[in-house]
Amino acid sequence: MNYPNPPSLLHGILADGGLSTLFQPIFHIGGDRPALFAVEALSRGPKGSNAERAEVMFEYVRRKGKEVEVDHACAIAALKASVGVPPGCAISINVHASTLERDELWTPFLSDACDRYGLPLSRLILEIVEQQKYWDERRFFETLDRLRGAGIRIAVDDIGLGYSNYRTLIEIRPEFFKIDPYFVTGSSEKWHARAAIESIVLLAERLGGDVIAEGIESEADLRALRDLGIRLGQGYYLALPSATPPVCMQRFREDSATTLA
Amino acid sequence: MTVAAPHTYRMLVVEDETTALFALRKYFSAAGYRVDSARELEEAEALIVTTQYHIVIADLRLSGSSAVEGLEVLRFVRHHSRGTKVVILTAYGSPDIQSSARMLGAAAFLQKPTPLPEIGAAVLRLLEEA
Repeated sequence: MNYPNPPSLLHGILADGGLSTLFQPIFHIGGDRPALFAVEALSRGPKGSNAERAEVMFEYVRRKGKEVEVDHACAIAALKASVGVPPGCAISINVHASTLERDELWTPFLSDACDRYGLPLSRLILEIVEQQKYWDERRFFETLDRLRGAGIRIAVDDIGLGYSNYRTLIEIRPEFFKIDPYFVTGSSEKWHARAAIESIVLLAERLGGDVIAEGIESEADLRALRDLGIRLGQGYYLALPSATPPVCMQRFREDSATTLA
Repeated sequence: MTVAAPHTYRMLVVEDETTALFALRKYFSAAGYRVDSARELEEAEALIVTTQYHIVIADLRLSGSSAVEGLEVLRFVRHHSRGTKVVILTAYGSPDIQSSARMLGAAAFLQKPTPLPEIGAAVLRLLEEA
């Protein structure tokens, strides 16, 4: 018996209901008790497919050259799922740098989508994922200007690795500098990681941005990062990604320390 | 008969034909392998970049335009994961293509239809000599 060949993985990703969203909270970690600042919307592909692993899905999408289409679909899925996020909490969604370069209509698209789901654009943070050097700088920066003009804040993801380097940071001047978990996880025990983090904190300060530490997995790292002047963070120690948006601005993992004083 | 693997080897099967893919997955999973599968070249590449495989079994012809996408998979593995063995399966293997596959570093080149136990034995031999 021969079975019919199913549609391609891309077809499954772009189909209605193909994508799901998990929310990872980002906390203010500067005070005695962490308080919710934002949620990062993490996209996952169809259940049971290779695209359920985010790193496989986005590697596949880039190889297919379909970043624009999939970024649109991920943004729609994320915004639709974000309706229950508490009103004071920002919503952070990811986008490829190549999408900002190729898609001149990205800003009106986001604006329409936010309108549809009743989310003010001022709550949106766009995390730029730099997998390759953007090609047409003029178009890329025109899109960035349009996004900022609409009130959307910009973050650069994976700082310290790949193309998320000093040149990128100086040129984009993001509102948020997201330090890669490579430096953050275990930083309390690695003086060289802390030295790299310190240099990013200093650069962010000078450029007028805030630093978000991504990948906080222990209380010791949380304390070390606070000592370095970092005020925003996310990671498994603070909260696990969840399909349900956090409902409370103070929600915090119960098995973690509840106070930092 | 299933040729059981003594260790949990990680395997990628690249095959666009559902029936063949199903049979390979079922056979090697039952033999104790941890099996991933891909139907497209780009899907296979994304898995190879993000996962360490002991062995890749690739059909020569996927539903792309080159008709020898299996060789593209082989080239990609050689570039990204030199320790991974690659077995090419094909129903269309000309001597020229077979020679290209060998030159590109294929560990084995098997004509379809090869019975699953023979594929299993060939794969296990390759893994044990690694």
